[in-house]
Amino acid sequence: MRKFRVRRAGVVRYCTLYVAAALVLFVSLFPFLWMVSTSFKPPSETFTRVPRLIPVHPTLENYRIVLGETMIPRYFLNSVYVALLTTAISLVVAALGAYGFSRFRFPGRSPALLMILSVQMFPSVVIIIPLFIVMRNLHLLNTHYSLLVSYTTFTLPLCVWMLKGFFDGIPRELEEAALIDGCSKFGAFLRIALPLSAQGIVASAIFAFIGAWNEFMFAMTFINIEELKTMPVGLTSFFGRFTVEWNPLMAASVLFTIPSLVFFVFVQRNLARGLVSGAVKG
Amino acid sequence: MRSPLAEKADSMHWSVGRGSPRPTLRQLCHDITRNWLAYAFVLPSMAGVFAIILVPLVQTVAVSFKRYYILDILREAPPFVGFANYLTILGDPQFRFSLWLTVIFTFACVALTMLVGLFVAILLDQDFPGRGIVAVAVLVPWVIPRIASSILWKWIYDDQFGILNHMLSSIGLRSFASFPWLARAGPAFWAVVVVVVWQSFPFIAVTLLAGLRTIPREVYEAAEIDGAGFWQKVVLISIPMLRNLLAILIVISTIWDFKVFDQMYVLTEGGPAGSTMILGIYTWMMAFGRLQMGLASALAMIMFVLVMAVTVLYLRLFMREETM
Repeated sequence: MRKFRVRRAGVVRYCTLYVAAALVLFVSLFPFLWMVSTSFKPPSETFTRVPRLIPVHPTLENYRIVLGETMIPRYFLNSVYVALLTTAISLVVAALGAYGFSRFRFPGRSPALLMILSVQMFPSVVIIIPLFIVMRNLHLLNTHYSLLVSYTTFTLPLCVWMLKGFFDGIPRELEEAALIDGCSKFGAFLRIALPLSAQGIVASAIFAFIGAWNEFMFAMTFINIEELKTMPVGLTSFFGRFTVEWNPLMAASVLFTIPSLVFFVFVQRNLARGLVSGAVKG
Repeated sequence: MRSPLAEKADSMHWSVGRGSPRPTLRQLCHDITRNWLAYAFVLPSMAGVFAIILVPLVQTVAVSFKRYYILDILREAPPFVGFANYLTILGDPQFRFSLWLTVIFTFACVALTMLVGLFVAILLDQDFPGRGIVAVAVLVPWVIPRIASSILWKWIYDDQFGILNHMLSSIGLRSFASFPWLARAGPAFWAVVVVVVWQSFPFIAVTLLAGLRTIPREVYEAAEIDGAGFWQKVVLISIPMLRNLLAILIVISTIWDFKVFDQMYVLTEGGPAGSTMILGIYTWMMAFGRLQMGLASALAMIMFVLVMAVTVLYLRLFMREETM
């Protein structure tokens, strides 16, 4: 009798869990699958009263249009260029800064850390106006420099903070041993601390890259030459022309999503850990 | 006896500057030369933060006191007008509407994100076959770039061929057959809330899950012996034990959702007829649509003060959790 009750409770528990899991799966995945599905459909299957998730006649035509007949490849390369350079600059500067904050106690350290923390919270619309005026005066509007400068702003504090978390986790004794063996302090940073925090560097690099890859407001404001536009702005320029061609637009969106997806698979395992230890400690 | 080398190593890490409340100039110079290496390490980042964030911030304050119409300044220097821009903004009915709208928008997004995030975190904290798949799938909305997912949802919401209307009408809600989600004030607002929640719940869920995992299982077992049911354990153990993490996440989400721009811009552009004009969009339009940089800077400063008020709260909570 008792055994039966336990088993029934178990069945109810599993049913509830799986209903909840199915709901969560549907909500998280369906929109994404719909994007992928639309990108492989011919227009005839899109503008129909009975849409299907799996295309009846899957086609690569939308991708051919996007890659061959639009500016999307150009936008994509621009985005890659801007995001990679932003990542490189922020990483070098942030690694130095994070190490300084992690390993040294010096006057002004706490206020500086507080500033780095709070600066992450600034709405970008607050500084976009003066940056626009400065860029205009320096004739940097419609160049990628304007984007590099402003993106570094937003990636730098985050990278400093994340990397500081990783450096804090490396035992100091390792660098002390190197110092005793005659290594310079900078050498200890370069040869001991940096290689040991490789994981943190990769994680910060990915966050910086994705931050720059996603950015929309600055890109829309500073660049209005077709050849220089980045993906987010390029994608939105599909709107406003006649009717929206959803199939190629979804194909372009899939292409736009792929780099984040690849990086994400790469860091997936360490994602929660990096975030929790680096940004918000639970 | 300690070797000089060991002392050298010691001095690297714990070179504490003298913490007297009012340092003299000489002491300051002394501190700087003593810690020169530390300052050399942090100088580039601090210089960056100063040059690209703090200097522009001060400039925004300056511009907010000027009549800075971008077409006029080609001819003359922008005149100083004192608080005129602020008075104009505070008297502007669209501003009051936007402020109100932004508060409701932020509140709705934060509340829903936290609820969904907590629900998913609790689900993922259970042991069941297939948990791993759900744990990975949940992150997908977070991975899709904001602009891509805004465009994707615009397609889902499409009145004629969108999948949402198709689903609703095929379960019998005929009135949704060609419902224009983004062309009506109320539905457009909530449509964007849904997109923002959809994109931000994974982060909350993952972080809360990491928090849940730190709660010792013994606590739950003790509660079970005392006869606690599932929801009692959630409400009486999990939530109280995650109090601080929840507080931090609520504050961070508030700051993030207050600043939302991309999703609203792509989905509605503040329309129809300004009915979804949240502050971020309004400020941007004022600056780069109407080219009234002075008024826009005043708006930006008001936004800044509001965000900073919440940020102070965030820093307080954060400091309590973590000693820097």
